[in-house]
Amino acid sequence: MSTTVRSALAERSSRFDGGVRRGLALGAAALLIASFLAVCFDVADVAGGTNRLVLFVAASFVAATLLARFLPAVAALLIAAALLGVGLWSYVLAVPNGAALLRSFGAVRADVLALLTGLSILQIAEAGIWVAGIAPAPTFLAWYFALRRQYVGAAVVGGVTLGFFVLTGDAGAVVVLAGVVGAAGVVGFGELDSYGGRSGHAEVLVIVLAAMIVIAPLVSVVPSGAEESLVPSGGSGGGGGSTVEGSLLAAGDRVGIQGSISLSPELRFTVESDRASYWRAAAYDRYTGEGWVRTGDTRPLDGSLAGPPGNATTIDQTYEAEADIGLLLAAWKPVDIAGLAAEGAKVTDLNGLQPGDGLEPGDTYSVTSRQPIATSDALRTAGRNYPDGLAERYTALPESTPQRVANRTARITANADNPYDTARIVERWLEGTKNYSLDVDRPDGNIADAFLFGMDRGYCVYFATTMATMLRSQDIPARFVTGYAEGQRVAEEEWVVRGYDSHAWVEVYFPDAGWIRFDPTPGGPRTAVENASLEDARAGNATDIDTNASEGGEWTPTPTRTPFGGTNDSEPDDAANVQGGLEGVAEEEAEGANGTVSLPPGAETTGSAANGTGGDSSGPGPSLPSPTREQWAFGLVALAGLAAGARRSGAAERTYRELWLRYHPDDAPATEVERAFERLEYLLEQRHRPRRPDETPREYLAAIDADDRAVRVGDLYERARYAGSATGAEGDEATELVAGLVRERTPLLRRLRRS
Amino acid sequence: MTDANTDTEPGRVETTRPEPPHRPSIDEVGDLARTVIGNTEQVIVGSHDAIEHIVTAMLGRGHVLLEDVPGVGKTMLARAIARSFESSFSRVQFTPDLLPSDVTGTNVFNQKTREFEFRPGPIFANVVLGDEINRAPPKTQSALLEAMEESQVTVDGTTHALEQPFTVIATQNAIERNRTYELPVAEVDRFMKRLELGYPEPDAESAMLDRTVGTHPIERLEPVATLDQLRGARAAVGEITVKGPIREYVTRLANYTRERAELGVSPRGSLSVLRAAQARAALDGRGYVIPDDVKREAAVTLAHRVRPASGADRTGRDVIEAALSAVRVE
Repeated sequence: MSTTVRSALAERSSRFDGGVRRGLALGAAALLIASFLAVCFDVADVAGGTNRLVLFVAASFVAATLLARFLPAVAALLIAAALLGVGLWSYVLAVPNGAALLRSFGAVRADVLALLTGLSILQIAEAGIWVAGIAPAPTFLAWYFALRRQYVGAAVVGGVTLGFFVLTGDAGAVVVLAGVVGAAGVVGFGELDSYGGRSGHAEVLVIVLAAMIVIAPLVSVVPSGAEESLVPSGGSGGGGGSTVEGSLLAAGDRVGIQGSISLSPELRFTVESDRASYWRAAAYDRYTGEGWVRTGDTRPLDGSLAGPPGNATTIDQTYEAEADIGLLLAAWKPVDIAGLAAEGAKVTDLNGLQPGDGLEPGDTYSVTSRQPIATSDALRTAGRNYPDGLAERYTALPESTPQRVANRTARITANADNPYDTARIVERWLEGTKNYSLDVDRPDGNIADAFLFGMDRGYCVYFATTMATMLRSQDIPARFVTGYAEGQRVAEEEWVVRGYDSHAWVEVYFPDAGWIRFDPTPGGPRTAVENASLEDARAGNATDIDTNASEGGEWTPTPTRTPFGGTNDSEPDDAANVQGGLEGVAEEEAEGANGTVSLPPGAETTGSAANGTGGDSSGPGPSLPSPTREQWAFGLVALAGLAAGARRSGAAERTYRELWLRYHPDDAPATEVERAFERLEYLLEQRHRPRRPDETPREYLAAIDADDRAVRVGDLYERARYAGSATGAEGDEATELVAGLVRERTPLLRRLRRS
Repeated sequence: MTDANTDTEPGRVETTRPEPPHRPSIDEVGDLARTVIGNTEQVIVGSHDAIEHIVTAMLGRGHVLLEDVPGVGKTMLARAIARSFESSFSRVQFTPDLLPSDVTGTNVFNQKTREFEFRPGPIFANVVLGDEINRAPPKTQSALLEAMEESQVTVDGTTHALEQPFTVIATQNAIERNRTYELPVAEVDRFMKRLELGYPEPDAESAMLDRTVGTHPIERLEPVATLDQLRGARAAVGEITVKGPIREYVTRLANYTRERAELGVSPRGSLSVLRAAQARAALDGRGYVIPDDVKREAAVTLAHRVRPASGADRTGRDVIEAALSAVRVE
């Protein structure tokens, strides 16, 4: 009966005791701590040291749990400060020249400032040791405060730590949201714990938290909202531009990997060079599983740069920008740069060039490069005698990289007995087994693993990332390089480079030769896609896609992109690859990538995303887009918030009651009568007042002056309940009487009858 | 030892109660009760509730304690109800020097037969009115109370069964407490109901004066029911359905008082309220007890069994009222 339901609810509500409240508060604290630890573990995964971090964090939790019983807060603060100090000191000792660095206050201040203004932790040296030094202190302190019921303290410690990672740019949107929800939960549930809230209060808090979680992502889903999406709306993840250029060149120190992208046929620059080459923009050494990061400092260019260790040939290039562009392109390996646009140029830790300011159309600069020359035989015999530290830096993989990547690579390259053959086999294998397509669903997790085992198509970023990962799994130093392919040859020594020429490839290090280029992306399909894009653009009378010279077409047939055209070796295939691979030029970065994006990202993303979610055409029928894990989680949170809200507002019970009022199961007559009376009670409760618990049915019906039908139902109920006798006819009668009353109550019908 | 009702074995009662020839229906019981009540009301004005309560107590095999100031018609009420049945009626005026044998009867030596023979006391009647019971010493009181509980008296080791039906209506003065032997709660517990009559309403008092200023109408009151009818009605009332929800309701009420008073309702009290409720249902012509019956009878059947927590300015009745408004009806 309804009174029973209500009292049961009330009892349950009052049973929301301290244990539950405390559990919720501690759970929220754990969520907050987990949010910044997630960042730490991501870093440790990429940079190494996951086991060490697990150990430290676990020890922090245990210590906080034990000490929280008796340790005063001041002592805990001192311990946390000591932990932080020891952690940072260990880091300083672990990095080369660390102690010297510490002596220079200016350098330390500059580093801290750099971190607080967006320098990713992944970019600092020995990042794994760094996070292992940093993480224990806030973990210990936040958990200590939570256990001491000083929830605000826990929220402050966790919030500050998470805020630091937000400033470094390492905390993703989901992590930040989780941390914010955790912080709000700690304070909210903590207050309930401290002041003895009831479940009703907790429900309100759940609604608020769910609203935070649900509304935050909606900002990026509604049209004209902010760009970064917490919940991927389709198969393509990530944010930023959706052209190859955007994905490769937009971000300075890191490259994310996207899903579907498109190509821009617009002009970027023209190159006058005595040889064709790939025009290199930037290289990246640290693979995060989801993208690439360049570590190390960028310094001003001062004089000439060293050439490659082995034989090399000189290439002189002159670049003229045709669009706003934030790159200093160069063939590998640049040794000298001149021209107005080169003023203020900088050099990255990987010997790439970076402009002081962006280039504008018409800006020119010239670069002298020393391209390594080595025969394949020389490379085969180059051995593995790498310079100090180079192998460690360029063979590191995230610890979460599945072992099957290494296993598969080892199997594919079983016949290779030297790094060069291994690289060649991997390059050919990728060219041969994977198809070229710009239309892909970005996989979750480790890109290389997903591409190797789960995808049959991709574009240059996928090919290059996968090849670099495979080589690294075989302890061959390899890095990820972005830039432009040589473009359209419009004269003997002139190339026109368009947006779609932007490219990504791999460089592999060989002792006595330096970095040698390998391009695992199938050349033919890529050129076809590019040409189609150019034709479309020309047909559409687009501007900025041709120079005077380029409309005439190729000066000579475009050489096969891979293997790249050779020079002076007689053995076409082998030598071409080797010498073509000896390219090099500048690397760098592009803050000015905005200018390279030719179409509103939204428009392109929409189109490709639609294709992407349509599923494979080979599928047996139309397939529905299957929700991602994030979407599931998002949905569950929204559901929880709605449920709490519905319960809180009573909507759930009202809805249930409306259905229940009209549902008449066939039952034993006595039960039927009792059910009918429950419905009657509910009706009368709506119209008059609920029956007090101490009121007998008869008293209640008399008190509210119920009509004859209700009294009759009351009589039947008394007989059924207190005499235990009810006939089928009585059951039907009670059900029918109440059904009549329900019908009368329905507002619409009542109104119709009145009129 | 020649009394026909006396068993040869002491302490044993020969239960030779002939089954009434006719088991009345619930409707007949209700009619009977209403007839008795109407008949009594010819004499007693303005005490409808009290009359109902006494009649239902008789149907429920209980005894009644009337407690009030003197002169509100307690005795007259008892006599009028007794006369409405074709029953034997006796009255005992309790005084400080009353002996137990004055109530129960005594063995006297018969000079002719040269044997002791039992001379029954006033308690051998269908309706016994014990007036001002609290003026008698405890020993005498307990003789009456034992008879009420056991429906028998034991004199000189011989047990004598009482008349059936047997109903005691005792009165107790609520004033002059210092000159009385107040009944302990444990003994009051044996009464099914305690009633307080209160002063009559002005209209009712005027009507009463009008009727009684000449010949008292009770002298003309005729019986309207036979003892057989009363026995049959009692049997029928005992058969009235009491389902689980009602029993649980009564249990919750009793528990409530036990938790909130120094002395709560005894199991005997719970039984009493159920029996009274059965009779109340019969008066309504209903074959089953509903919570309303229990509520109607709760105050009069339970209040005198409760001793409120010391220091609390509450009476037993307050505790019962509180229980009724707090305990859930299901």
